[in-house]
Amino acid sequence: MMAINSASTTATPPLSIERESRLLLWLRTTTASHLIGTMLTQARLRVALVVLLSVIFWVALFGLFFEAFTFIDSMHAEVISLLFNVFFSSLMVMMVFSTGILMYGGLYTSEEAKLLLTCPLRPEAIHAHKFQEALWFSSWGFVLLGSPMLVSYGIVRDAPWTFFVMLLPFMVSFVVIPATVGSILCMLIVAGLPRLRVHAISISIGIVSLGLIWTVWTTLQSTQSETMTVAWFEETLSRLTMTEQKTLPSWWLSSGLLDSSLRGETPAQTWASTVESLKFLGLLIANALLLNLIAGWVARWCYRAGYSHLQAEIPQRRQRKISWFDNLLAHSGPRWGSPLRLLLVKDLQIFRRDATQWSQFMIFFGLLGLYFFNLKSFNYTHAYASIIGYLNLAVVGLILSTFTTRFVFPSISLEGRRFWILGLLPVSRDHIVWSKFLFAFGGGLLPCLGLVVLSDSMLSVPRNTMLIHLFCCSMLCSGLSGIAVGLGACMPDLRESSPAKIAAGFGGTLSLVLSALFIIAVVMTTALPSHLNLLRRSMGQMPSENFLGFVSSSFGIATSLGIVVVLGLLATFVPLVFGVRAFRRLEP
Amino acid sequence: MIEFGHVTRRYGEKTAVDDLSLAIPRGELFALLGPNGAGKTTTIKMLVGLLRPSHGHVRVCGHDLVTDSRAAHMHLGYVPDEPCLYDKLTAREFLRFIADMYGIPRHLAAKRIDREIECFELQEFADDLAENYSLGMKQRLVFAAAFIHDPDVIVLDEPMVGLDPRSVRIVKDLLKARTAEGMTVFMSTHTLAMAEEMADRMGIMVRGRLRFLGTVAELREQMAIESTSLEHLYLELTSSRTTLRETTLAGDE
Repeated sequence: MMAINSASTTATPPLSIERESRLLLWLRTTTASHLIGTMLTQARLRVALVVLLSVIFWVALFGLFFEAFTFIDSMHAEVISLLFNVFFSSLMVMMVFSTGILMYGGLYTSEEAKLLLTCPLRPEAIHAHKFQEALWFSSWGFVLLGSPMLVSYGIVRDAPWTFFVMLLPFMVSFVVIPATVGSILCMLIVAGLPRLRVHAISISIGIVSLGLIWTVWTTLQSTQSETMTVAWFEETLSRLTMTEQKTLPSWWLSSGLLDSSLRGETPAQTWASTVESLKFLGLLIANALLLNLIAGWVARWCYRAGYSHLQAEIPQRRQRKISWFDNLLAHSGPRWGSPLRLLLVKDLQIFRRDATQWSQFMIFFGLLGLYFFNLKSFNYTHAYASIIGYLNLAVVGLILSTFTTRFVFPSISLEGRRFWILGLLPVSRDHIVWSKFLFAFGGGLLPCLGLVVLSDSMLSVPRNTMLIHLFCCSMLCSGLSGIAVGLGACMPDLRESSPAKIAAGFGGTLSLVLSALFIIAVVMTTALPSHLNLLRRSMGQMPSENFLGFVSSSFGIATSLGIVVVLGLLATFVPLVFGVRAFRRLEP
Repeated sequence: MIEFGHVTRRYGEKTAVDDLSLAIPRGELFALLGPNGAGKTTTIKMLVGLLRPSHGHVRVCGHDLVTDSRAAHMHLGYVPDEPCLYDKLTAREFLRFIADMYGIPRHLAAKRIDREIECFELQEFADDLAENYSLGMKQRLVFAAAFIHDPDVIVLDEPMVGLDPRSVRIVKDLLKARTAEGMTVFMSTHTLAMAEEMADRMGIMVRGRLRFLGTVAELREQMAIESTSLEHLYLELTSSRTTLRETTLAGDE
């Protein structure tokens, strides 16, 4: 061991706040550069897909907004102002909550916070470090959604170049405000109400969510006029004027952007508008900085105390009993199926007790259900309803595929980590893979069928079309479960304990891509003949001799259903067979 | 160097640490023993500033962990039971980050990084990302980081978990050498043999209270059991049958 007589730490003063900030910035840039380097060398497919899909998403949104702004450009400017205010105020509320939740995880439950709190760092420096992270995660969606909207608006309105230059400062200064408010609320709630924090946060989120749902509901439902008419729009927009409060940062942002987009008849007029917009930008920046200062004070005052309060809480012990359903499932049926049923019961118990899984399941499927429930507000023709019905079917499939990739795909890898338990039991390895498939298929089928029934009922599609949708939905559930379980068994990651990281690897990405292709194939195969058939019936002019005539005939529909069966069986059994074989050979 | 003054920590109705008073001088290696749920982790969390006492105070080198935590942390090094590292930093980068955090000048930091890398035999993987490390490698790196600023006090929570025998020997030698130079060590462990071999004094906590404080010889003497192992003494002291003796032993301090 080398011995160095060095200066004691007592002789070294603690770092200044500037040096602390520089050090934490170095930490962030170094870890980020290593992360990017790793991704570019080890996860090229994933990076390429993310970039490609982001570009497609951005371009599609740009096109959509461009058309929309061209359409409403002839209307009064107040409509645009109102739309901007509604959009930005909604995002503002969402960002307060999303940043608050992210800050809770970053400041109070992360391992990094534990490490930093045992070092001689100021609490406000730790807060600022974690805030940057939370701000990035909570606002990238806003940038991805807002930038095509604002760029297209600027092009449609022939805005001066200053508008495009000021977009980024406007967006950044705006997002900091709700994000900082969320962060301050998070620290105050944890420090002030440690025992009630979960209830307080849940109740506030519940109240705000109910308020938002009620607002949207009454705005859309209570209008006297028929939907989608000019009068309906006017009534609806008049109800949304509450978002135009001048004290709201969303109003400062929309007013600043509208001013900066104005091109006057003379350069002097354009300059005057730009100066006006700069005042709004200054207002946003000043408020963002002030709130950051307040957040720093709050962190200095209560972050360490809040962390300590939280550490002092003991999780409530809950005694869990085996439910009657688990008992029924485990002990009913023939004896040879007992291991399979026991494995299913185990997965069911873990799912019920893992709030991450079922809460996400409930939120996404709940939101989708809410959207489907509101479809009745709009009057569609049969042809339109048919297209929307198939699009909804695809959305249900896509939502299910995110769950199968995020939760079902990693489940085999996680079982691999527990192989010392399962490997010693008299259970065939094939049973483990099949039980995962049955669990995923059974768990996804009922809610998906329910959503499809709801969507079709609201759209009033014909019964035959609904039956086709239900059949396709069953095939989708089976195929998506087969892809996730089969690939999960073929490409297990036994070193990783986090299901999120397992899902984010190559196998998870491949599972998601194959799932998306399978959904597109199934929906397109049935949507085309079914829709053409509907058109032919309603118009009665499609010739029956040519190819389109064959496709749109009843025989064509039956053929498409046959193809779907083949696709479904292939998607289910091919990955599963390979998965079972790979799992038999697995050496943990 | 370390001072617990009438420290009590409650978790709601439950008292995890009850009126703990303890002073550990410079250059002493102190081992805290006790069964699961005795209050060892709570005591360590209060000592490193993650948890505040409900009553009383904890001081390191005269600095209170609540009111003057930054100054106290300048004197502290901490090795947690589960190593926490940045997956996307190499060992060398992590050590540089910690050295910078303690304000060690660059030229000195470079020497100390080399010293710790050599001491804990991290040369082979010093420039690999930590995400590729085994548990033992991570634990050695955490030790290196804890020692890099030559702290006056080092707090070790189950320090030997995950270390191979060679690394255990390195750590033991290092602790002996540093305590001889004046560093104070506060160590929580379940490994009685290590406590017996290394500790100048030991404390045994049971249900939040310090049942015993002293050397193994003193423990034998107080329990009136001759020529028996520490394991036997420990089990005797922490078993429910010894309730009548607890006041005697704790009251001696």
